[in-house]
Amino acid sequence: MSGVQLNGIIKAYGAVQVVHGIDLEVNEKEFVVLVGPSGCGKSTTLRMIAGLEEISGGELTIDERVMNRVSPKDRDVAMVFQNYALYPHLNVADNMAFGLRIRKESKADIDAAVKEVAGILGLEDYLERRPADLSGGQRQRVAMGRAIVRRPKVFLFDEPLSNLDAKLRTQMRAEIKRLHKRLGVTSIYVTHDQVEAMTLADRIVVMNDGRIEQVGTPMELFLNPANSFVAGFLGAPPMNQVKAVITGGDTSPVASFKGQKLKLPALAGLQNAEGREVIVGIRPEYADVVTQPEDGSVSCELDLVETLGSEALLHMSLGGDPFVIRTDTLGRMADLDAVNGFTVKPDLIKVFDADTGVALSGQTRVA
Amino acid sequence: MTNMNLYSRSDKIFVWINMFLIFLFTISTLYPFIYIAAVSFSSGSAASAGTVVYKPIGFTLAAYERVLAEPLFWTSYRNTFIYTFGGTFVSLLIIIPGAYALSRPQLYGRRFWNLMVAFTMWFNAGLIPFFLNMRDLGLMDSYFGLIIAFACNAFNIILLRNFFEAIPSSFEEAARMDGANEFQVLWKVFVPLSKPAIATITLFCMVARWNGFFWAMVLLRDEDKIPLQVYLRQVIAELQDDEEFGASLIEATYSFETVTAAIMVCSIIPVLIFYPFIQKYFNKGIMLGGVKE
Amino acid sequence: MSAPRDITGDAPSKVARITEHLRNEWQLYVMLLPTIIWFIVFLYKPMYGLQIAFKDYSIFRGVANSPWVGLEHFHTLFGSDQFLRAIKNTIIISFLSLCFGFPMPIILALMFNEITHQLFKKTAQTIVYLPHFISTVIIAGIVMTAFSPSAGIVNTFIQWLGFEPIYFLIKPEWFRPIFIGSGIWQEAGFSSIVFLAAIAGVSPSLYESAVVDGASRWQMMWKITLPSILPTIIIMLIIRIGNLLEVGFELIILLYQPSTYETGDVINTLIYRQGLQGAQYDLAAAAGLFNAVVAFVLVMTANTISKRYSRTSLW
Repeated sequence: MSGVQLNGIIKAYGAVQVVHGIDLEVNEKEFVVLVGPSGCGKSTTLRMIAGLEEISGGELTIDERVMNRVSPKDRDVAMVFQNYALYPHLNVADNMAFGLRIRKESKADIDAAVKEVAGILGLEDYLERRPADLSGGQRQRVAMGRAIVRRPKVFLFDEPLSNLDAKLRTQMRAEIKRLHKRLGVTSIYVTHDQVEAMTLADRIVVMNDGRIEQVGTPMELFLNPANSFVAGFLGAPPMNQVKAVITGGDTSPVASFKGQKLKLPALAGLQNAEGREVIVGIRPEYADVVTQPEDGSVSCELDLVETLGSEALLHMSLGGDPFVIRTDTLGRMADLDAVNGFTVKPDLIKVFDADTGVALSGQTRVA
Repeated sequence: MTNMNLYSRSDKIFVWINMFLIFLFTISTLYPFIYIAAVSFSSGSAASAGTVVYKPIGFTLAAYERVLAEPLFWTSYRNTFIYTFGGTFVSLLIIIPGAYALSRPQLYGRRFWNLMVAFTMWFNAGLIPFFLNMRDLGLMDSYFGLIIAFACNAFNIILLRNFFEAIPSSFEEAARMDGANEFQVLWKVFVPLSKPAIATITLFCMVARWNGFFWAMVLLRDEDKIPLQVYLRQVIAELQDDEEFGASLIEATYSFETVTAAIMVCSIIPVLIFYPFIQKYFNKGIMLGGVKE
Repeated sequence: MSAPRDITGDAPSKVARITEHLRNEWQLYVMLLPTIIWFIVFLYKPMYGLQIAFKDYSIFRGVANSPWVGLEHFHTLFGSDQFLRAIKNTIIISFLSLCFGFPMPIILALMFNEITHQLFKKTAQTIVYLPHFISTVIIAGIVMTAFSPSAGIVNTFIQWLGFEPIYFLIKPEWFRPIFIGSGIWQEAGFSSIVFLAAIAGVSPSLYESAVVDGASRWQMMWKITLPSILPTIIIMLIIRIGNLLEVGFELIILLYQPSTYETGDVINTLIYRQGLQGAQYDLAAAAGLFNAVVAFVLVMTANTISKRYSRTSLW
């Protein structure tokens, strides 16, 4: 069972603690993505799993063995680095063979393994080339090839796509996913890009400030964010978050903000909650535009239209605060300039507590 | 990883072996200094008998008294300061503007001038022509001669030139647009930006001057002008013959060995005092003068 | 720059361009002048005087008035046992120095790189750099004191082991080891700085990647560190070969004796003795010319070979 368990993992530099007790279980063959803003501790956590950083507290288990004090070379993990770490004085074949030569495998085995992996990655024609003569995408593939050829228990990826341009990134993303399907090796992937996280992960671990905010499948996190941080992190453009106060409305609670009112879903926490401060979360794609005030609509001023082709982003001003709406352009281009408000179905609204940011209970959605 | 805690067992052993070997090498580097210092503070008879190993035997300051009583010692010490500071000052005066001019792309014949400088690193006319040249120029046996004749060398110029070349041209262009002439650009912009490189060159010059002995020995006749190292050599050369056969006649308080050791200690002291401060400069300096790929 | 003018038909004459340039950039030439004058007066003018290698030179007649004697001096030199012996000694000492002295700084740098305890490393480095800053005279003085037959620590140790004391510095068979050993003691530490700088330039992620792949520090030293600093090593080797004939003659002059000439007398010390002390200027100049030409050829050759085989060269 090549699972990875983190129990209360802590990292401290002297008196400063940067990772505060991570608990995570990665199942065999699972592709887990650690995602979060810069400085959230995701790379540090990955490096602790690799053995490149000492673990200050807690326990790390790989394949049922406790690995805290084990040297990286004995952990049977392979890592793909952000800058690929290809040996400039070796060609592609030797780069990929490096780990196997270290372990004194037979020449025949090494050659066969390198050939096979080169085939998988489409590198057969480049085996004699040096890294300096390769494109960014090719170098990335060599870095992955070097990891794959070792058949480790766990793959670790440290932001491998950050140095590639957007188009290449999309392409490589799909390749990584395909590779994982084919090879089925437990993988832990670190990125700050939530699109990569959403597309690649079996499960996402959202981290912030050295802590785990939420763990779940991409859709789970998207549909049911546990707090306003996760809600704002996944999804592009990010979820609009508006501070509001609950005002009456009998069984259907209403949020008041900037002199406007909006109907909210009937949650337990909102019953008899007059005066409670909340954060109202509305995803840009869930808001429907209107060109004149309707029953239940919210008025806002159109600031700027960004056309993306089949879609457009409308940057609105909601009483001075920004609010983004995403809408189709098909047949609507002429009307976009006249948009002055939106409606949204109450079921699609997320409500968070204003103080803690925690999502109110009862909002679980499945689709 | 500079943290050893995650090293495997064999790697840890490897580190310990390295530390041990380096330790041995360090001790063997230090030992001669300790030995000489010990000899200098020992009694003459103990030193001549070869009994001094690492600490003074028969502790006495007699050797130092003898050395410091000699007026020529002080004269030569003074001369060394003159050559070191005077020489370095003149060197900087010539090298800094020269390197700057050589680094400017707008200099006519730049490749030619640079080749002229670099060529001297590969071909040297030799001892005799240099010596005869000094004679012809009338620069024998003079402070000025010794200072000016060794004021410059291709290595330092090229090092500083490379450093200047690496400074983005936008600095010079901005200063020129502000109305500065070349002297001002050099003095107000490039020199402040090149402190590490200039510090390194200064260091090289000072060390070379402080330790320099060969040409001082060859070119100087007047005893009053000789630097410390030449004085030391003189003492060793002249007294040595005395000692070879007369070991048993030495006065017990000091001997040839203790006296020469004392002079050596005296001339090392200033180096040791300034050494910690210059440490950080030559580390960077070698990297500057080092390989460009 | 002057106002734009109609340039059809005429280009500014070369003289005009040069004048304009000088008007704008005269300061650069003022800055360059002392340097160039110095090089001409102290390094190039002696090259003119080098012609006495082909003349029967006398101080009274001066260079211009001394008659040409063609290659006579070179015939004399190559017929002289002393000169041939000096060449032999120069090559042997240089070669031994290269074999033992060149690898030392590299080994030191590699060892320093493996030490993780920062304080230990910095202290050790400080200590081993020190001998470089000590003058040759003092080095010689230390060696003479230490190896002295009656008072020296080495002989004390030898006697303690039960053997007879050895008068090291007058025995030709001991001269080379002592000389080369002193040279290494003086320079090995400081020379390691270049290599340490080169090692520092290697990206840490190469080591991290290797350690995750299972490499030991020993393997990393051979497969990552050494290959990465190979260009630096080659360049230092080229420089070293260019200086092959240098051999640190100052230290030799201080340490040698007539009895050790047979193993220790090198070209430059011969030049010093016969040329400067013995005033045989023309003969010594010829020897010096031979020295300089050989050195020049060596550097050019080494550089060309390196350029062809490893993509690194000195310029």
